[in-house]
Amino acid sequence: MRTLLVWLAGGLSLVGSSQAALASGWNMPVGVTDLSREIYTLHMAIFWICVVIGVIVFGVMFYSLIRYRHSKGAKAANFHENTTVEILWTAVPLLILIGMAVPATATLQKIYDPSDAELDVMITGQQWRWRYEYLGEDVAFNSNMSTPRAQIRGEEERGENYLLEVDEPLVLPINRKVRFLFTSDDVIHAWWVPDFAVKQDTIPGFITENWVNINEPGIYRGQCAELCGVDHGFMPIVVHAMEEDDFDTWLAERQEAAAEEALGVDREWEMDELMERGESVYGSICSSCHQPEGQGSPPAFPALAGNEEMLADIEWHKDTIINGVSGTAMPSFRTTLNPVELAAVITYTRNAWGNDTGDAVQPSEIAERLER
Amino acid sequence: MWGVIKSVLAAFLGVQKDQQRRADFEHGSAAAFIVVGVVMTAVLVGVIAMVAILAAR
Repeated sequence: MRTLLVWLAGGLSLVGSSQAALASGWNMPVGVTDLSREIYTLHMAIFWICVVIGVIVFGVMFYSLIRYRHSKGAKAANFHENTTVEILWTAVPLLILIGMAVPATATLQKIYDPSDAELDVMITGQQWRWRYEYLGEDVAFNSNMSTPRAQIRGEEERGENYLLEVDEPLVLPINRKVRFLFTSDDVIHAWWVPDFAVKQDTIPGFITENWVNINEPGIYRGQCAELCGVDHGFMPIVVHAMEEDDFDTWLAERQEAAAEEALGVDREWEMDELMERGESVYGSICSSCHQPEGQGSPPAFPALAGNEEMLADIEWHKDTIINGVSGTAMPSFRTTLNPVELAAVITYTRNAWGNDTGDAVQPSEIAERLER
Repeated sequence: MWGVIKSVLAAFLGVQKDQQRRADFEHGSAAAFIVVGVVMTAVLVGVIAMVAILAAR
């Protein structure tokens, strides 16, 4: 009996420590959506059911082991069956399982109901970045990790949000139902933001759905949760949740910038402009494979500095960047980059690090090529 | 017949009295158990499907 009490006391002390576990980050977060709170409550309820079952089962087992041990002269009972007990230990777990399944199914139904969303965002996983497209709003951008490589190599002190910071966060309004459509351009990734209780695989050739309705403005961070290649750890997710008015202003600004960018396709660009823009595109898109100084990482990622094949044939160079190279790690950037970015990055790689071809590729030329 | 149904229900749960099991093997016909088993499995699937459809409303 004393053993049983010790077990019960142990169980009670666990109850006290659950708050500590939450504060230490060991537990799943409560999150910032109604659904994430519901999932958390469900998780805790099922956790405590398991704890109670564990305490009872192990309590009885250890009590029996100690109380009826051989040295105390216990004699083993010898009977074949006890139908009543067998029915009980089959029926009780069945009822417990049904008791857990009912609320869990109700929550699952909510998770799988993305209807009546006010905003649709297409999320595309790419090695190794996320692309966000606000469907029907003419706004799309790539979100790349912004932690400097020097911090990763240990040459600089790590920042506060080491490996969890991006150049362009996903911006969402609070108090609006936002539907996510997930897919991937290459391998399976998973878009995971613990505060939303959303972890969704992005699968090439498939579109999967999920949704959020965020209650509190703030910055929420997550990571790719499906091993997707060498830079899997370097494609974080940052979501900036704003008040609705602020979001509308932000969206209008982005739409204006996108329209301006579209106009930029038709004008003649100076070499300096192309180089400046190209350097920024190269830094966020290309440098993770081809390295910051174009030195590459052969054989998978060829050097671009002094690459004779590339420098000799500008058409081949354009084709490689626009369409990718089948059977290699080089993806197509046809949809990831706009004509201005494509022209700028082709110009940059043909003129940086001693590649002095003097070729300036115009966005209009790329736009025409994309339409062909 | 009722005896066969009771035995099949016991098999669904996975618990049966040893005495009853012996009796079933000695007196029952295999065909009756198979037919009742198949019918009751279909009924079980139907009931679960109905519960799922009602819950999803």
